Amino acid sequence: MSLPSVEVAADFKDALQDLKQNNRPEISNLTIIAKENTEHAQAISVELENHIRTTRPEWKLPALYVLDSIVKNVGTPYTVYLGRNLYRTFMDAYTLMDQGTRKAMEGLLRTWKQPVPESMEARPVFSPDVTRDIENALNKYSKLAMQHGLPARPVSNPAWRNTPTPPQNITRYAAPNDPRVRQPFPPTQQYGHFPATPPTQYPSMQPYPQPVSSSHLEDLKAEVAKLIATTQNAFASNLADVSLRTKLQALLDLQKILNTQTLPPQQLEAVRKQVQALAPSTPYPNFVPSVPIQPPQQPLPMFPPAGAPVNIAQLLANAGIPAPPSSTPVAPTPSLADMLRRVSSPAQPSSTPTPNLPFFLPGFSAPPAIPTSVPAAVPASAPAQTGTPTANLAQLLSQFGKPIAAPALVTAPQQPNSLPQLLAQSPSAPTIGSADWLINALKGVPASTTPSSSTPFPSASMARQLSAPINIQAEVELTTASMKKPRLHLISKLYEAIPNICATCGRRFENTPEGKQKKARHMDWHFKVKDPDAAKRGVHRSWYISEKEWIDYREVDETSPEQTSNGAIGSSAAVKKQAKDKYVPVPQDPTLLHAPCPICQEKFDPRWLVEANDFVWMDATKVGGKIYHATCWEEYSKGAGIPTPSTPDSVLGKRKAEVSTPASAKKVRAY
Amino acid sequence: MIALPGLNLTSAPAEPLNLPAAAATRIQDLAANTEYRFEVSFGRALTIRLLSGTAEFFGTELGPSATYTFQGTKGSVFTWHGCKLEIGGQAESEYVAEETQMMSYVNAHFAVESLRGRSAATGEAGPGVLVVGPNSSGKTALVRILMSYAVKSGRQPMAVNLDPKEGMLSVPGSFSAVAFSSIVDIEDGWGSSPISGPSPIPVKMPLVYHYGLANPEEGKIFKPLVTRMALAVTSRLEEDHASRQAGFIIDSSGLIAQGKSGVYDNIEHIISEFSVNILFVLGSERLYSDLTRKYSNRPGEEPVSVIRLDKSGGCVDRSEEYMKQLRQAQIRSYFFGHGTDAALAPSSQMADFDDLNIFKISEGQENDSFRPGNDGDDGYGASNGIYEKETPSSLIQNSLLAITTAAANDRPDVIRDSSVRGYIYVADVDEVKKKVKLLSPQPGHTPPNALVFGSFPEDVPALVS
Ligand SMILES: [Zn+2]
Ligand SMILES: [Zn+2]
Repeated sequence: MSLPSVEVAADFKDALQDLKQNNRPEISNLTIIAKENTEHAQAISVELENHIRTTRPEWKLPALYVLDSIVKNVGTPYTVYLGRNLYRTFMDAYTLMDQGTRKAMEGLLRTWKQPVPESMEARPVFSPDVTRDIENALNKYSKLAMQHGLPARPVSNPAWRNTPTPPQNITRYAAPNDPRVRQPFPPTQQYGHFPATPPTQYPSMQPYPQPVSSSHLEDLKAEVAKLIATTQNAFASNLADVSLRTKLQALLDLQKILNTQTLPPQQLEAVRKQVQALAPSTPYPNFVPSVPIQPPQQPLPMFPPAGAPVNIAQLLANAGIPAPPSSTPVAPTPSLADMLRRVSSPAQPSSTPTPNLPFFLPGFSAPPAIPTSVPAAVPASAPAQTGTPTANLAQLLSQFGKPIAAPALVTAPQQPNSLPQLLAQSPSAPTIGSADWLINALKGVPASTTPSSSTPFPSASMARQLSAPINIQAEVELTTASMKKPRLHLISKLYEAIPNICATCGRRFENTPEGKQKKARHMDWHFKVKDPDAAKRGVHRSWYISEKEWIDYREVDETSPEQTSNGAIGSSAAVKKQAKDKYVPVPQDPTLLHAPCPICQEKFDPRWLVEANDFVWMDATKVGGKIYHATCWEEYSKGAGIPTPSTPDSVLGKRKAEVSTPASAKKVRAY
Repeated sequence: MIALPGLNLTSAPAEPLNLPAAAATRIQDLAANTEYRFEVSFGRALTIRLLSGTAEFFGTELGPSATYTFQGTKGSVFTWHGCKLEIGGQAESEYVAEETQMMSYVNAHFAVESLRGRSAATGEAGPGVLVVGPNSSGKTALVRILMSYAVKSGRQPMAVNLDPKEGMLSVPGSFSAVAFSSIVDIEDGWGSSPISGPSPIPVKMPLVYHYGLANPEEGKIFKPLVTRMALAVTSRLEEDHASRQAGFIIDSSGLIAQGKSGVYDNIEHIISEFSVNILFVLGSERLYSDLTRKYSNRPGEEPVSVIRLDKSGGCVDRSEEYMKQLRQAQIRSYFFGHGTDAALAPSSQMADFDDLNIFKISEGQENDSFRPGNDGDDGYGASNGIYEKETPSSLIQNSLLAITTAAANDRPDVIRDSSVRGYIYVADVDEVKKKVKLLSPQPGHTPPNALVFGSFPEDVPALVS
């Protein structure tokens, strides 16, 4: 375990070289190497990426299966390292593959958008940010492939599942809080469940065993996912509706149970019946943006009065459903007690400074129109009905949750005035207060409004897509009247959806591996610019860049990986592009698409450019609505175009030969 | 030309600072959806620290462990969730407002944001937004809020300033465009353009043009510059995918919203040159109805959504005296940096009269009147009457000269259309010895480029003590 990374990586590489087909024992073996050497995860990841990039096309897919097996069985930190370049790793390989292999890769991608099957981890294998980029690229690729007369990609088969993924009965170890901090390697006994001899357990070329009722279970899960999506839609447009909230929470809990526990057949059957009963009885209208949220008419406590089908105790009990022995650190979440305290007295923010926990419930903050002393409110017109399937489901669920939920909470009093007492009993029970369900619900963008045509791979896990920026659909119309409607539920997109705040400057980051990396780089940057001597060293204002430099300039902020280590400022060198390296995306317009370069009359060759995430014409530039070879144009337009008669030293440290510059004689420091 | 660095140049503050004593702080609780509005003069400082909850300053979130210092600022701290602030120092005025326009502004953001999502999915150009309205209707505040929310949403939007009254990342009298990939600063307006060392706030990389007049109704420079900037911004957006998706947001001058009998020539010019497709009209009913009429029912043309937003109650008329101080603070901060910990070191230079190629912007009607028509060879007329060559004299003392990228012998319209490298300040003119003392942001030679001198911003006396 104290081997240097190079040696481990070399071993790994050797083993990889031998992998020429989808050989399960070899893949398992490589997975074990990766698992036992997580302290060399970075080196191993680089090795794997290099191998996928350089090996022959027909050997790439087995190597991708290794990647798949590692991220699913070992998880972090591999998901972090491999996630960084996944787009490139995937797309580089994809463009070289035949149709059949592409289909297999699409299948892999599909599973990466979901949690590892049977695992306790509820989040997808790779962050949606990572997979979405690839999806978008595939989308474009297939569109352009069609336009260019290439054979269209066959419709992918959603049932495709040939990932060599062993069952997830192993506990994942905790990821380091910060990717830069090395977590002590956990004792091996902890992984006793990991198949020591995978070949015998997972015979070659066989899909891993599924639970007997797996297809039924999958159906049920899909049904639940659908219900969740519908309910979220309804809830998003009516945040104050307690019954909806209860139902949503119950459904999300159910989803958790289905994903994490193996239920005996009769319980499964009971659940199925409940779900079936729910399905037709969801007359909640689809989300209609034009319906304004009615300002609450009367102050009400946030919990339903006694006698309502689901009381706060049940809510709490349900919320206490087994938090997966989480592998990746979750951003600090406020306790439910804390949240309730704020909710019930919005005018009195908690006296405890909680600067790192800005998780309030926007849905419950008092709208501007009503006095701030009025707590959150529920429209009187939306009481939950006793005896609805929802209530039954909730009761059913609370049974499942019983062994884990704190007994005191299960039997908690039902009177509102006993809430303080209830809360007083649970100040030290942070797991109870997982408010994730509500926060997720409040993110509430109806997944069903996403035009499915833009999503190449319909995903069963709609709930997970909710925070994806691409799904922010035209919910807010561009009209004067629409601007006046209160939509407090949207605020969570600017807060809870990006929960990791930098205490120094207030910039927020997503709670994903990528977001954490960005934050880590951001904190590095803060540290670097804090150089106390900087001000004393004759720092001065730089010249502005010229028009041409500015047009070619691309923002690189302090969180991007390209940030050089000495770099510090949110402005890396503006790489001046050579004409030959210029490109334009292949135009959609058919006239442009078939037009030759107006100067030399030669046609352009389309090419997939990974950096551009697009199909492009290289050595091309678009001027005044026409596309020219960049080299032709440069030749033609010498001195014309956008003139910059004298090009002085740039602030970026480049030097030009011209004497007639306003810049300093001494070289401007690049920073 | 002699460069004389290290002459112990110091910025001369208008008044001595009264920094608040550490002990003299107070607690301000804010309920959800309310804002704390304050005005602090240039000679004083107000500090604000977030103790709990969340708070934003024009859309940029306050860092939980930061103390922000405001000088010469009229601003507000808004909270969506409720918060507790610790406030130090003396405000000229302060109060808590329960009615704000933030809900409609955040709706505006999400409406624009949905177009960005569409752009990301389809590859078509992102939203092009123009904010118009009378003076003191909160245009810049809205632009900042929209920019901040867009950045927070992970976008890389472009901000374009076409209001000469206040500079964006540059001095007043300039027009600029910049893509934001990092947060909008809280204490220092839009933040800082690049400096030669590390900056505690990520610097922004603006493209700057010099307008040099206070009033955009002066058509002979305004429209050509708008056209030029639109060309540059459009060129950038054609290849800069991140900014292309995010689109741009243009801030404008209140003066172009006055119009002439219902015709808003300059607004229409901006819309067509930049291909604006969302027009936010702040405050004025009349402007809104005129523009709605103009941009509805234009079959065959790109649709422009005209949307009226209410003016925030926090918008106060800013006195000419305040605006002047603000301009001077912006100019001072161009040379010396902002605040106490970002001190920049400009350098002093001596130049001969003959070294300087100064072009003064011609003003007044006579230049237009002896033009044969309005269709000059550059399409805007008055091409030859833009500038007069100016010999240094006491007239230019205390003023700013824009260093263009044009050569001294370039055509006037080339000079007009060229972006600027920066500004130098005329500290002293010795008419006898024919020498000029200049303050330059950087050490080095005095540029031989065409230098443009306009009537705006006005003289800044005693920038150098
Ligand atoms: Zn920060
Ligand atoms: Zn050509």
